[in-house]
Amino acid sequence: MEIKAMKEARTLLTAFDYEPAPLERGYTDRSLHIRLGENRVEARAVPALVREKFIGGKGYGLKLLWDAVKPSTRWNDPENAIIVAGGPICGITQYPGSGKSLVCTISPMTDMPIDSNVGGYFGPYLKFSGYDALEISGKSEKDVVIFIDGNSGRVTIEEAPLEAVDGHVVAEQLTEMYAEDEEDKKNISIICAGTAAEHANIGLLNFSFYDLRRQVARLKQAGRGGIGRVFRDKKIKAVVIRFRGTKGNLNKPADQSRINKAGIKLHRQIHDLDDAQCRMRQIGTANIIEVMDAYDLLPTHNYQYGSHPDTYKIASKVFIEKYTTQGMPDGCWYGCSLSCAKTADHFELKTGPYKGHKVTIDGPEYENAAGLGSNCGIFDPEIILEANFYCDTYGVDTISFGTITAFAMECYERGIIDKSHTGGLELTFGNAMAQLELLHQMSRGEGFGYHIGLGVRHLKQYFAEEFGADRAFLEDIGMEQKGLEVSEYLPKESLAQQGGYGLTNKGPQHDEAWLIFMDMVNNQIPTFEDKAEALHYFPMFRTWFGLMGLCKLPWNDTTPADNGMTDEPAKIPEHVQNYVDLYNGVTGASIDKHELIRQSERVYNFQRVFNIRMGKGLRVHDAMPYRSMGPVTAQEYLSRQERYDQQMKELIGVDPEGKSVEEKIAIVRAYRVDQYEKLTDAVYKRRGWSSEGVPTTAYLREIGMDLPEVLEVVTPLQA
Amino acid sequence: MKILQKIEDRCIACSACEMACSNAYFKVKDREKSAIRITEHGQDKRIHVCNQCGFCIDICPVMAIKRDALGVVRIDKKKCVGCLMCVGFCDASVMMQHDEFQEPFKCVACGICAGVCPAEALYIDKDAAQVPLEKVTFFK
Amino acid sequence: MIQVNGKPMIWSEGMTVASMLKEKNYIYAKIVVKINGVFIPVEKYESTFIHDGDDVKAIHMLAGG
Repeated sequence: MEIKAMKEARTLLTAFDYEPAPLERGYTDRSLHIRLGENRVEARAVPALVREKFIGGKGYGLKLLWDAVKPSTRWNDPENAIIVAGGPICGITQYPGSGKSLVCTISPMTDMPIDSNVGGYFGPYLKFSGYDALEISGKSEKDVVIFIDGNSGRVTIEEAPLEAVDGHVVAEQLTEMYAEDEEDKKNISIICAGTAAEHANIGLLNFSFYDLRRQVARLKQAGRGGIGRVFRDKKIKAVVIRFRGTKGNLNKPADQSRINKAGIKLHRQIHDLDDAQCRMRQIGTANIIEVMDAYDLLPTHNYQYGSHPDTYKIASKVFIEKYTTQGMPDGCWYGCSLSCAKTADHFELKTGPYKGHKVTIDGPEYENAAGLGSNCGIFDPEIILEANFYCDTYGVDTISFGTITAFAMECYERGIIDKSHTGGLELTFGNAMAQLELLHQMSRGEGFGYHIGLGVRHLKQYFAEEFGADRAFLEDIGMEQKGLEVSEYLPKESLAQQGGYGLTNKGPQHDEAWLIFMDMVNNQIPTFEDKAEALHYFPMFRTWFGLMGLCKLPWNDTTPADNGMTDEPAKIPEHVQNYVDLYNGVTGASIDKHELIRQSERVYNFQRVFNIRMGKGLRVHDAMPYRSMGPVTAQEYLSRQERYDQQMKELIGVDPEGKSVEEKIAIVRAYRVDQYEKLTDAVYKRRGWSSEGVPTTAYLREIGMDLPEVLEVVTPLQA
Repeated sequence: MKILQKIEDRCIACSACEMACSNAYFKVKDREKSAIRITEHGQDKRIHVCNQCGFCIDICPVMAIKRDALGVVRIDKKKCVGCLMCVGFCDASVMMQHDEFQEPFKCVACGICAGVCPAEALYIDKDAAQVPLEKVTFFK
Repeated sequence: MIQVNGKPMIWSEGMTVASMLKEKNYIYAKIVVKINGVFIPVEKYESTFIHDGDDVKAIHMLAGG
């Protein structure tokens, strides 16, 4: 009945019929372009040069975005586009982690391109429906639902006034609406956001897949950088795709046998070893909550500390024993035997508009437990699950929300803000109900929660200008860079990871490099040159997942039994070879592991130049807040005094004896900031960039990213 | 439940079962396309064939694997998306796969191989005491 | 004194791989241990003694985060 009413309230704005292009060796070589407002839909051929240079996935996303925007374009301009693209490997079913979509847009957080990697079935279905990429630009006046019928070849845009906005509700409604029966529901995937994404710059996109056993549409998130905010600003309620007939060979690979072999080998490895390794099948990424605490890396109280006595309350086994349900594959695309996607079923909500509802919650992932939990001083697993649920359904990035709230809580604790600024909320560390209230306010665009939703960069300015806060101190403790909040690892004791966060294209996100163990624990990359090599190799290698439509977890969260005996265990050589085999198996090419890196280098540098084109992307933008590098406050210093004093003696060559804490903080700071600058020099050099962080024209020629429009941006900036 | 039982010390590794199986299901005599496989290391003969334990039922992401009324674990090829997780997760490595086919295949205890085994090393047991391993959990 | 991952650690009588890992609080599941270049399998952590002056590697296999 409800569905019937929704359908009757629809107004068809446009319909576009097309002949679905056949997939051949991983590509359709077609892209779909939707212009809202004008309600124009068209299909275009992907030029051969684009395919050669940009490969697919986020390469395609960035290229289409570049062509769509001007240097002056901001996130809410109609020309800003949201691009969703799989990649040549996306949609194979035999190898774990092969169903990812890459989403690109100009971010409301950073004013430059953001890219986000997300699971769910949309990316594969888009390819099977005939398109390597989907671009949505323009703006609608009224809420719309875009529907792609991949079998018959029809795209419609309809005004959709009655559908819900919150992710878990609209995903259910539209799955129900577009599926013919229960069996058909797995053929539907939905992109949606949530009510908070209408107000918060940290708004995200949900991508659905239907869980046949739980009989519920589950959501995976393109979380970082506020893509959901752009989506709702364009008045899109949802993009729905339906494709019937998924099989294992729809990419028409050149060599299915090679793909099968790699897939079965990895399935077998996960079967044999995962229970003793990362337990991804049992608990997923949350397995490292207690590990990070043990190594003093779990961000606590806004990254002041790296561990907390109460971490045991949110350790992975608590979630396994009390909340998550097991006994089935939990992949976000077919064939993912690593199966990290966990859920808590029948979870009864205690707050907000869905209070009393029993819901299925995807999570907890590590980032959520750390961001919503320890970083805010909250060690209550049920609150973490509830906040996780509301973040997802409201369309809020858990990482940014956790880091922003932690920042605001520290400001509150230090008296920089008080109840008169927070609308009466007592924003102390550990106040879980206040955290949830901020989320509910954000979904309504009200109160202090509204400000939280605009990010740390906004809050720093807001607190300084409105409440007279000390701006320099806020710059030190506000864990954002380039406008994006730092993800949930404490990088203070790992210089390489400070670079892994700071020397990135889109902001401090660990999807380019996570080097803390290699650097801080294993001591494998002691020199600046070693670190620079790692900060070249890993970001390039990991960029490649985004070109392909792959997940990085099956690369790194399971390892062959004999990996430790290989010459470069950190790279997991056997898995790198698997990826080479997958690419060659799908496309019929014959790349090796070096060409793999070269493919990434082209797109990575294109993105850097794109940032520069948007007025960012230079050395000044790569500086990190000092909280990420060392102790800002006396409490932080004293909490790890022995460590800092010892380092002062051994590394800096200064005797800490008789010095005040303030003097010691200043000495450590001068040293560590200098180390970061030296690291930056080394990394830029390794990456073929000038000392200001600009790719040199010689290097761009060497890697084959010397397109005229790229050279035009960097030529005036050559030293 | 219905199972193809084996008596390995009777096996003479003549391959008759493999040929009969592949011929019955794929119209070709090719052990790589047989749901039963014999391996031989000197005197040690091994018969590799599904014991219908059902562990694969929960592995399948599209619920294409089910146990039928007789207790035989069967793959619905129409539903199968060819992810091969069941192949990698089969403890006994008897979920078979061939690159020419989209879907894996397995013994369905039809008994054709038992009928041709000259050594009487195979027989159909309609009432085997195999404990089913699947949980087949639903959450609603 | 021994070296663990190139950094000094105080050695004590009867130290095994297991006790060293415990003392360092190295609880991560994927660690590869070598003593003076010789790989030590997990099942021998309890029974393998570390001697004064040994060069120990306890390499944590995680580059992903």
